[in-house]
Amino acid sequence: MSQIQFQHKMGAHCESGILSALLSHNGVALSEPMVLGISGAIFFVFIKTPHMVFPVFDMRNRPGDMRKNIGKRLGIKFATQKFSDPDRARASLEALLDKGIPTTVQVDMFYMEYIPSYMRVHFNAHFIVVVGREGGNYLVSDCYYPSISKLSRDSLDKARFAKSDFAPKGFQFYVASTPAGGVKEDVLKKAVMQGIKQSAFNMVKLPVPFIGVKGMRRFADNIPAWPKIARNMDALSHAIMSIHITLEERGTGGGGFRFMYASFLQEAAKLLDKTEFSDMSKKIMAIGDRWRELSLFVARVGKNRDLGDNRMQEIRQMIRARADEEEAFFKTLLTMVK
Amino acid sequence: MENQTITAVSPELKLEIKKLILETLKISDVKPEDIADSASLFENNPALQLDSVDALEIVMALQRTYHVHIDDQNIGRFIIKSVDTIAEFVAKERAKNKE
Repeated sequence: MSQIQFQHKMGAHCESGILSALLSHNGVALSEPMVLGISGAIFFVFIKTPHMVFPVFDMRNRPGDMRKNIGKRLGIKFATQKFSDPDRARASLEALLDKGIPTTVQVDMFYMEYIPSYMRVHFNAHFIVVVGREGGNYLVSDCYYPSISKLSRDSLDKARFAKSDFAPKGFQFYVASTPAGGVKEDVLKKAVMQGIKQSAFNMVKLPVPFIGVKGMRRFADNIPAWPKIARNMDALSHAIMSIHITLEERGTGGGGFRFMYASFLQEAAKLLDKTEFSDMSKKIMAIGDRWRELSLFVARVGKNRDLGDNRMQEIRQMIRARADEEEAFFKTLLTMVK
Repeated sequence: MENQTITAVSPELKLEIKKLILETLKISDVKPEDIADSASLFENNPALQLDSVDALEIVMALQRTYHVHIDDQNIGRFIIKSVDTIAEFVAKERAKNKE
């Protein structure tokens, strides 16, 4: 067996969770909420393409943007690679492990055999850190699981080359370098302010109709039409319940990332000695609580097939109310970082 | 419900939690004593047959009743895995709040 001494951490969201763990390993102590906040990841995007019957949404920026923004703002270089051949991908990974370099790989979560089967779904944008080998298994640090776990070589190969949306294509990355002497406090403070400014700007100032609070309202206003376009009640229920899944089940840390953002603002308040960020933390925590209530509401009505026109209007109003709250919140936040 | 005074992981706390789960999920054909303390609430439990929506209902009921905040559903899943794990979490949070 060979295992890199790696401090495993559980996390709310795979990309921010593994980045936090990976950076800690490389001497940059950054909590998961700080990774989320500094990378400007809090977001909203309304997504509708011609092949979709129902639109969907996401509450964070694109997969990969957290790593890029953290790298840019803190002077950390990540080495990234993609492979078309599983054998070359495996050889590259094992060469890095032999050098003692913990390496993050993108995987289909379904093949993570250490996670209870009822919790596993096909999802191609999951990230884990490979930290060693034992016989025919890899040792992996998955922030969705309490401890370092074994994953068979066969399962990891399948997970790294699963097909469909967001196909991993053998993607892997590791920390290539960090600033000499570590990340200085003034750099960190500046990065926090940049992250807040980016998030607040995206949510309320970006002139794109499907992003930020505009995107929330667009998504909300789309919902009353769903009963007409659903082929049957089951399809409608599935679409409505996917709102709950996106808000609470897809590794958001609860409340569509808003709880984690509240933690970030608390840390920012201490670092920058700005009590106003602490007040804002409480506000976004309360907004997160209301997203969670909305999530439970849609889950209940979806599960019970209670999906008449009045329910669709209720859901629309609830999402619009969140949009109004977030507009006020992020406008205020933007004034604090000008 | 008398929850304020129970801080240790006691049989009383576990019974209280079982009643809270059954009440919250409106399960009338299962008695608290039918739920084993260490049994998984979500996996291989034909008596309860809970799903992820029930998980969120339980999380919110725990938050309301015990004034705890479970932000993270990933960690939340392990907290609400069984009555034992829920009771440990509640007792720990209460002890923390007392300090």
